[in-house]
This record gives sequence, structure tokens and C-alpha cells, in this order.
Amino acid sequence: MQSRAKQLRSEANWPPEKGEDISFTSSTGPETAILKKVRWGLVWRDFILEDGRVIPEHRISGCPQPQVWRKFDEVSDNEREECEERLLSMAGSGMDPRTRDQSFWAELNQYLAYTYLRFKRAECKVQDTER
Amino acid sequence: MSRSDDETEEQQVWRVLSEAGLVEIRLDEFAERIADVKRIVIVRLRELLDFDTGIEERESAAYSLGTLKRLELKVLANAPKPPPDPS
Repeated sequence: MQSRAKQLRSEANWPPEKGEDISFTSSTGPETAILKKVRWGLVWRDFILEDGRVIPEHRISGCPQPQVWRKFDEVSDNEREECEERLLSMAGSGMDPRTRDQSFWAELNQYLAYTYLRFKRAECKVQDTER
Repeated sequence: MSRSDDETEEQQVWRVLSEAGLVEIRLDEFAERIADVKRIVIVRLRELLDFDTGIEERESAAYSLGTLKRLELKVLANAPKPPPDPS
């Protein structure tokens, strides 16, 4: 485990490794915590902390700009369906309506962003074709 | 959707999602954002039905719409209750 959070990073050493301290802005303000793992969501990367909270990459200090996001057509039907099932399962098993950094809200945020891009893009393509 | 030729695709996606309020959704905004996304899916589904094309996309859009509706109901059911009116 690193002894201090690294404030300045470059693309070469990004993302940070498991066990490192990372600084970020949580739903309640600036914080530092230990990173457990980094995983790709449907659009952006999420940083999972040791305490279970999920922080999107754009809220992590030192995140290189511009961020790398997935294109919506890189997400397979299978991956989308798994995400939909997981969200419904998490919603069914209960959610804390006061804890924004919970996995359910993080995944729902990405699902909404992805679904918007997926169908908004299709709508724009139809309009372009009709012109 | 394009605003500037200098904008990279990543910047364009960021702007589109930011303008739609979908990059950072606050807890009290989720139900509203789900409703917004449902409207986009409904528009697309209507197009697909009107043109009678894209059976796979139509089924997938209908499934996503159903998922959004179920999530919306759960989110609304779990919304924090407002404090009681003192009057």
C-alpha cells in the first residue's frame, strides 16, 4: 500500500493499482481511501474502494484528460442484458436511498447514460438520413 | 449533435451527457432522469414500429423500456420521505 495519495499522475501510470490510496470527491466532499479495484462500466471506469463504495473515474484526483470512455456500440448485447438483470436484482434486494456512492446508483447512472447515447444516436442518424 | 469541428468524440459525448444531466445524477434526480431516458427510448421505439424495421432493435428497445419502468418504480418506492409538515 502506498503511504500517500498521488495527486499528480500521467497516462503512463493510470489507473492506480489495487491497495493505493486515492483522493477523490465523494458525494459528501473531498476524501482519501484505499482502492480495491477498477472496473469498466457501460460508459466509463468505476473505482471500487475497500469499503465498497463506487466512485466514477472523473471524480478521482489526477485523472488524465480527456478521459477514455467506451463507445456505446462497443457494449455487446450480452453485456447490456447482464447489466439490466443485475440492476433489477439489486433494486429487488433493496437499496439505500441515502447512499449515493453505493454500487446500485453507480451502475444505474451508467446504464442511463449508455441507454441515452444508444437511442439518442439512433434518433440523430434517422434525422440525418431524412435531410 | 455536433457543435464544433474541433470537438473530439469524447468531448462531444461528455457534452451531450452533461447537457442531459446524466454524468453526475444526484439521488433526488434519478426518477426524473429515468423518465427522460424512457422518453428517448419511446421515440425510437415508435420510429421502429412506424417503419416496421429492425425487429431485433425493436425487441431490445422494448426490453430496455420495461427495465427502465421497473427501475423507476423501485426508485420511486425507495425515495426518502419528506419531513412531516409541522403545521
